[in-house]
Amino acid sequence: MYTYKSGIAKIDDISGGFDAGSNILILAPPMSFADQLAYALTRPLEGEYSIVLSTNERASEVVDYFKLSGTDKRFIGVIDAITKTSTPSIADTQRLMFVSSPTDLTGIGIKFSNMVESIFEGDFSEGEQGLFPPPIRFCINSISTLLMYRRLEVLYQFLHVLTAKLKKTEGVGFYIINSESFDDKTLSLIKQLMTGIIEIKMDQNNNYMRVQGIRGVSSDWMKYTVTKGQVSILP
Amino acid sequence: MIPTGIFGLDEILGGGIPDGSKAVFSMEPGVNGQLFTISVLACALARGQSCLVITPNTSQEAFLHDAARLRTRKLEYAQGQLHFIDADERNQIRRSNTTSGKTEQAWKDRIASICDKYRIGLIVVYLDLISEDFGIEKGLKMLDSACASGSPTLVIEYLNLMGPDMPERFISEHHFDLVISIRSSFSPLPHFNYFTILQSAWAKNEPRSVPFIISEGKIVPYIPRIVITGPAKSGKSTFVASASDEGLSVDRMSADGTATTVVMDLGRLSWKDFDITLYGTPGETRFDPLIPPMLRHAMGVVLVLDPDRPENLPRARDMIRQIISLKIPVVIAANHRNKAGALSDDEIRAGLGINRDVPIFFISATDKGHVAKVLESLIDFITRFTY
Repeated sequence: MYTYKSGIAKIDDISGGFDAGSNILILAPPMSFADQLAYALTRPLEGEYSIVLSTNERASEVVDYFKLSGTDKRFIGVIDAITKTSTPSIADTQRLMFVSSPTDLTGIGIKFSNMVESIFEGDFSEGEQGLFPPPIRFCINSISTLLMYRRLEVLYQFLHVLTAKLKKTEGVGFYIINSESFDDKTLSLIKQLMTGIIEIKMDQNNNYMRVQGIRGVSSDWMKYTVTKGQVSILP
Repeated sequence: MIPTGIFGLDEILGGGIPDGSKAVFSMEPGVNGQLFTISVLACALARGQSCLVITPNTSQEAFLHDAARLRTRKLEYAQGQLHFIDADERNQIRRSNTTSGKTEQAWKDRIASICDKYRIGLIVVYLDLISEDFGIEKGLKMLDSACASGSPTLVIEYLNLMGPDMPERFISEHHFDLVISIRSSFSPLPHFNYFTILQSAWAKNEPRSVPFIISEGKIVPYIPRIVITGPAKSGKSTFVASASDEGLSVDRMSADGTATTVVMDLGRLSWKDFDITLYGTPGETRFDPLIPPMLRHAMGVVLVLDPDRPENLPRARDMIRQIISLKIPVVIAANHRNKAGALSDDEIRAGLGINRDVPIFFISATDKGHVAKVLESLIDFITRFTY
């Protein structure tokens, strides 16, 4: 079974990375730059592909972020749930797809399937081929936004289907949720869909994370920074 | 009757959806099935009917743009023929009504007023957000009562997050006339989509599952792999050639001076709106390692055997065991040459160890009519199969 490197020695040296089929919740307070950590973990390594469902920023901004970290954009796909609201006639491309709004779960599901299918069929990367079966990293850059538009029960069912599909395709998923905006019931329900949790906290302008549910990896807090898509653990 | 505009489906439904009916397309998340409702809408517009689209999760402009992209051409309609209640209007209704009861009434009034004013013949509803706003029971009741006066046809697209039992509830609890479930599977092919007609009140059919692809803006019933196999010299290549609109066979002369297939036969045909690809296996035992990978993604198998050669039955028996163990629909084509002493239906069944569930056809593989009958039976079998 494929293992997805995290780029964090404290995880990769012990567990090898994230097992294929893992779904990881990134539990983060506001303004903790959790998206940077999520993108760093979603960044495709050689032979891999990435798909980001963006509920917070435009596809172009997501792609720019990955480009800045030196990623080949031919291996990145974005499902953009923002742009179509202001530009209804924007057209899909192979790697940039648009849904009408974060409420449009039908569209999100279809675009996700279309991208995965196109990766499997080798149509995704302009003739460049990665590994087969293709390792796919997936990120939702905020479940919190989806929860603003949809009821928890509905979103739970939807994420249940999505995480199961990702598991079936042996991908890995990272899902950001704001740890301070939702009650315990909401967080606990979303956690049920996950195989691991990365919790973020901020203290005196420093970022800390701790990992739960990844075999062998300690759940101690680690001070970290993210620079150009690379996570560094600080002493 | 409003045609669905979907190849194969209209034929099964006896022409389409009768006026005044209630139909639901229940879509599993992620399945590319949006073209089903849009196709019905396009057909109703082409008939000159006034239509109302209730699309609470998107704007009118985005809907029209997406519909044009899915169909590869714009929806054609006359001025005043197509009406919308879209995301903007949903937001307005929500903003101006403070309680759920008032919001519900505002929806009813709005739908009823459009239906009355424009003599709406078809209402297309994207139920997802309506069921979120009101719950599915209340949402459907609201639509029923709003549509009561003019009895328009109601076509619903439903994102089914509730699991496989939900389509059945549309039949038993909500009394829909047509219930079609659109789903995907990873077997026999990865990312394989199919629709199942669970209920059609006017065209009594057993539930059928039809695999499909989307090609050039249309839903096309699609059978990507039917394998034609059987012992050597049973007539497989002839069968593929007789069945195909176009094809390829790679043969070499064997020691006895007859042609034998050394790679595989490939044929493609369009039959009753189905796009079908046939793969004929070589019959010589040395090619046996080729057969399991070909069967792996097969949706159906025709086992061709020669009833004049009883000595080939043990090999055919091995093959059919392999096919049945993989749970692939199979039919037998006994390529008969009218020789004395040929095996009978009962002798073939006994020799192969199969019961009466597997059909046996006595055919001439050179006769296109015979071959078509075998394929018709197999496709019938495939569409009744539970994926």
